[in-house]
Amino acid sequence: MIDVTSLLVAGIEFGSLPQQLLNGILIGGVYALIALGYTMVYGVLRLINFAHGEVYMLGAYTALFVSWIIYGRAQDPVTVVWYALPLMLLSAMTVCALIGIVLERFAYRPMRNQPRIASLITAIGLSLLLQYGGQLFLPVSPAPNISGKVNPYRDNLTFYLTQPAPSLVRAADALKPEMDKAKAALDEQLKLEKDEFNLSDTGLALRKEFFERQSAYNKAQGEAQSSAISITLPKGQLIMFTVTLILMAILRHIVLFTKSGRAMRAVSHDFDSAALMGINVNKIVTLTFVLGSALAGAGAMMSATFISGVKIDTFFGLLPGVKAFVAAVLGGIGNIPGAVLGGILMGVAESLVVWAGYDQYKDAVAFLILIVVLLFKPSGLLGSNKVEKV
Amino acid sequence: MRFWGVRLASIAGGIGLAVLIHWIALSQLSAFGVRLVVLAGLYVTLAVSLNLINGITGQFSIGHAAFYQVGAYAAGLFTVKVFSSQPLTFMLWVPVAMIVGAVVASAAGLLVGLPSLRLRGDYLAIVTLGFGEIIRILSQNLKVVGAASGMAIEPKMLSQSPMVWLCWLLAIGSIALCRNLLQTAHGLSFLAVREDEIASSAMGINVTRTKVAAFVLGSALAGAAGGFYAHYEGFLIPTQFGMEVSFIILTMVVLGGSGSITGSVIAAVALSALPELLRNIKTIPLATVIGLTIGVIAAVSLGRRWSEQLHGPVRDRVLKLSGLTGLCLGGGYLLGLGLRALPALSEATTDGNRIRMVIFAGTLVLLMLVRPQGVLGHREFGLGKWLREPAR
Amino acid sequence: MKIEIKASSLAALAATSLFSLSLVGCKSEAEKQGGSTGTTSGTASGGGSAPSGVGRPAPTGTGNVQSGDTIKLGMIASLTGDQKPWGDDSLAGAKIAVEEVNSAGGVNGKKIELKIEDSASKPESAKTAAEKLLGEGVLAIIGEVSSGNTEQIARAAFERGVPVVAVGATKTTLTDIGAHVFRVCYIDDFQGAVMARFAFEERGKKNMAIITDKKQPYSQGLSENFKSYYTKLGGQIVAEVSYQTGETQFQNLLTELKNKNPDGIFMSGYFPEVGPLAAQARAAGITAEFYGGDGWDSSQILQSGGEAIIGSFMCNHYNNKEDRPEIAAFLEKFKAQSGGREPGTTMAALGYDAAKVALEALKRTTELNSVNLMKEIENTENLSGVTGTITLKGKNGNPPKRALVVEIRPLNEGFQVFRKAYEYFESK
Repeated sequence: MIDVTSLLVAGIEFGSLPQQLLNGILIGGVYALIALGYTMVYGVLRLINFAHGEVYMLGAYTALFVSWIIYGRAQDPVTVVWYALPLMLLSAMTVCALIGIVLERFAYRPMRNQPRIASLITAIGLSLLLQYGGQLFLPVSPAPNISGKVNPYRDNLTFYLTQPAPSLVRAADALKPEMDKAKAALDEQLKLEKDEFNLSDTGLALRKEFFERQSAYNKAQGEAQSSAISITLPKGQLIMFTVTLILMAILRHIVLFTKSGRAMRAVSHDFDSAALMGINVNKIVTLTFVLGSALAGAGAMMSATFISGVKIDTFFGLLPGVKAFVAAVLGGIGNIPGAVLGGILMGVAESLVVWAGYDQYKDAVAFLILIVVLLFKPSGLLGSNKVEKV
Repeated sequence: MRFWGVRLASIAGGIGLAVLIHWIALSQLSAFGVRLVVLAGLYVTLAVSLNLINGITGQFSIGHAAFYQVGAYAAGLFTVKVFSSQPLTFMLWVPVAMIVGAVVASAAGLLVGLPSLRLRGDYLAIVTLGFGEIIRILSQNLKVVGAASGMAIEPKMLSQSPMVWLCWLLAIGSIALCRNLLQTAHGLSFLAVREDEIASSAMGINVTRTKVAAFVLGSALAGAAGGFYAHYEGFLIPTQFGMEVSFIILTMVVLGGSGSITGSVIAAVALSALPELLRNIKTIPLATVIGLTIGVIAAVSLGRRWSEQLHGPVRDRVLKLSGLTGLCLGGGYLLGLGLRALPALSEATTDGNRIRMVIFAGTLVLLMLVRPQGVLGHREFGLGKWLREPAR
Repeated sequence: MKIEIKASSLAALAATSLFSLSLVGCKSEAEKQGGSTGTTSGTASGGGSAPSGVGRPAPTGTGNVQSGDTIKLGMIASLTGDQKPWGDDSLAGAKIAVEEVNSAGGVNGKKIELKIEDSASKPESAKTAAEKLLGEGVLAIIGEVSSGNTEQIARAAFERGVPVVAVGATKTTLTDIGAHVFRVCYIDDFQGAVMARFAFEERGKKNMAIITDKKQPYSQGLSENFKSYYTKLGGQIVAEVSYQTGETQFQNLLTELKNKNPDGIFMSGYFPEVGPLAAQARAAGITAEFYGGDGWDSSQILQSGGEAIIGSFMCNHYNNKEDRPEIAAFLEKFKAQSGGREPGTTMAALGYDAAKVALEALKRTTELNSVNLMKEIENTENLSGVTGTITLKGKNGNPPKRALVVEIRPLNEGFQVFRKAYEYFESK
């Protein structure tokens, strides 16, 4: 199935490793945002909120609708307004938070005294209901996407870790004048031709000349480029990662340094005792859902906006949701720093699988990691072992 | 002596029933009807086997279709590679291939179950979900099973006259296996694990081993069903076994009542026919759907409130609650008619095919809110009661 | 006497051991099954077999026979799901063809009844839809657009001896399933070769990369066909990566491509993924030109692809702007039926042609049943369809048709702008 020779044939090159690691961290940032929601809810309620991925999906739709409201459904906004992106982010977070409140109040709270399986089934049912029910009301076919022009930060930053070999650059540059000359000659001829795709013999000869020069140049240029190790970073994704970090810092502040945060930690530690100590448990559970869902909304808005052309349908949150859950388990479910660590590790693992040439198994790696974690450290990387008591 | 007499009689009865279903299906029904009977048989097997894991042992697997798929692919591949070089006729061969499917699927069950069943139920849910994905990705990429193009199984059953008896023999066999298991000490340990893991381990039950045993057995039955499916369809592609199939099986188990074999059987038969019945409904006004949804929500939330305050004889309460439900649904329907006046909704329609999964999902959620134990709860329905106690 | 039922209603293990007994009351159809469908194996493997003179297995069934006041034809289309744009168009096209025949008085004085089923863009639903139509006594089935769905329909129809006229299913090995499968589109062998030639000869691309959708048989087959012809021409495939239908983020695999510096990239998948793929490739700094097959055929690709997809080239069956009387007549009818809208995809024209092949054959059939209809469809010669001239006689269901290469332009420039036509050539 997977043999060693194919590993060699796959052609492992280290040139793209830094870029792939960076990709992994950027993708992992989104997983981490979603994973936080899973881990916080699990922390206070011991419930896997399967519908969390669907909250994420609805966040993407909210961002889409807001962009439509601002720019109209026409795909090419002529002028980009400065408030569009913040407004999309805030409304996605708000709507998701509201959905979180509704789900908690009307679906999960009535189940709190039922056996755990019942709440799990409710969660799965809600997830399916939003996926399939959403298809009746939301635009799905053809799947819409947020116009690329909504995001003004589309250009790239390129960092060279090592410079291209000067000899190769010179070799490539030496080929350029020849190519340009051939191009000029061809262009001259094209003006005389009726149909660019049905050339006369002179035209065909000139074009052949140009293609050969172009090909030689491209090849030399490619070799020069490959001799350098560089990282290309779309500005949009840089913004995305910065916002992710800011949101995580805010969350950390809330959880560690506010009264509600302390209450949340108390509820997570022992639900019943916290209630006995006068903490309004319902309020804290609601707050947990609000925070988790808002983070998912932010993640959804950003990955639907800053990554070009991402299509949105009602299954938008399925795979990210499941992977983020695995990330939460990997880091130690119920543990907030663990979710961040797990998310980043998950993104990096995926990138490395593609880098090693097994792109078709990219989605499988998350679950392999999960099984390995469950075998060797079921409590996760940062989780602590808890003994269940009667 | 009587023990064996009854046992042999019941075996003969089971086989007789399967043959009867076969005969009725082939002589009375259209080709489409035969297909429904076969699918119902397969879903009965799948639901009963998942019930063994989820209902009887109290675990939570949501990726049952993966074991169905593993069985189907294993049996199919076995047939493709081996059939031509062995002496058995096709009719004798299919059961052999099904056993191969069952064995491979149970091995997969062991592989998945061992790491995850040491822990609490929630982990199993996500691991089985993930296992389903892994199997799907593998089957999409492995050339030996045709990758995304799928694998043709030769020879296959004729679709006009499939081996309905075999499919239902498997279904009846699964029912009998689960039912009889519950009468043994092993079976009781399954129930004990469901009720309280800590207490049962204190009673000397090896909790992990019990859970794994149930999981492996359930996987094996699903694998056997897959083996039949492979030779029935004659063509396997990875998309036939998606998460949707897993969730449909799960809905059957939950709806029928986790732990009730009878419930699973009834739900499986009913729900396997539902998509095909819905297929005939070409268009449904979207406004009606919205109206009825609101009606159902109203019925559930009012009913929950009200049922806590209602007292008196069961019949009265049932009457009052069903009256309320009727009122809410009727109101919802009228609301739907009203909504059609809105320009945005007047033309919008949907169809049975799209609503199918919504109904399944809605059923899951509403059931949990109204009657978490499922329609039949843990109750069973059997002839024994009638035979033992004469009618009053 | 008290009967002890407890613990004994059935013993399952004993029952399973009885599985191997041959039972009374079971007909011996199993024995027949060994030889009957023997030759269809192997069609599942991705490789192509030439549409040459090798005989195809004859379907086993005896087919449906005409009964009642109308002549029933089946139509399967993706009316919901990802491929809805194609499903809607192919159905609209087929309806026009049926309407033409009905308004001219039908066939033998009987009207045509088009029975429509939805495949929901999924192979398994396509199969159920086919079973349903076959049970309703249709003489032939028209559809589907995607190869995966059509394969299921063709397999279901094989045992019934009912002919299938596929609309846009281009997978090369599709028609090997049986002598009852026909199509009105070109095949991927040819489509892949055309794009390979265009990229290599017209655009001078010597190093290309291929991106495949591993979930789609169509994409896998097309990538293989492209690769084999392109390398035969002397080009080099520098990288092959894959994704799966439904994925939205492609940075990882694009990084791997970028590192290989291809001149051009062949994306064999369907439009919902190709758009984002193209956009993200440009965002990652890839400047190579993009090429694709008829899976790109929906203006939706402009929305998700944005500027990135403009200037790419795809292969298609025909072009609305072509100057042919059949096209003008068809467009007029289509617009009249759909409120002035032009068909968004070529599947409308192919749906029309598929229905027309079946209907013209129906007119030639003397005794109305599936088997005769199948023979007459096989006899189709020089039928002038909207998408070109269709000849099925002796072609194993694959009409030798020309293919067009079009450039993707913004909507106001006409979306698909005709660049070069390739007449049929042997691609092996």
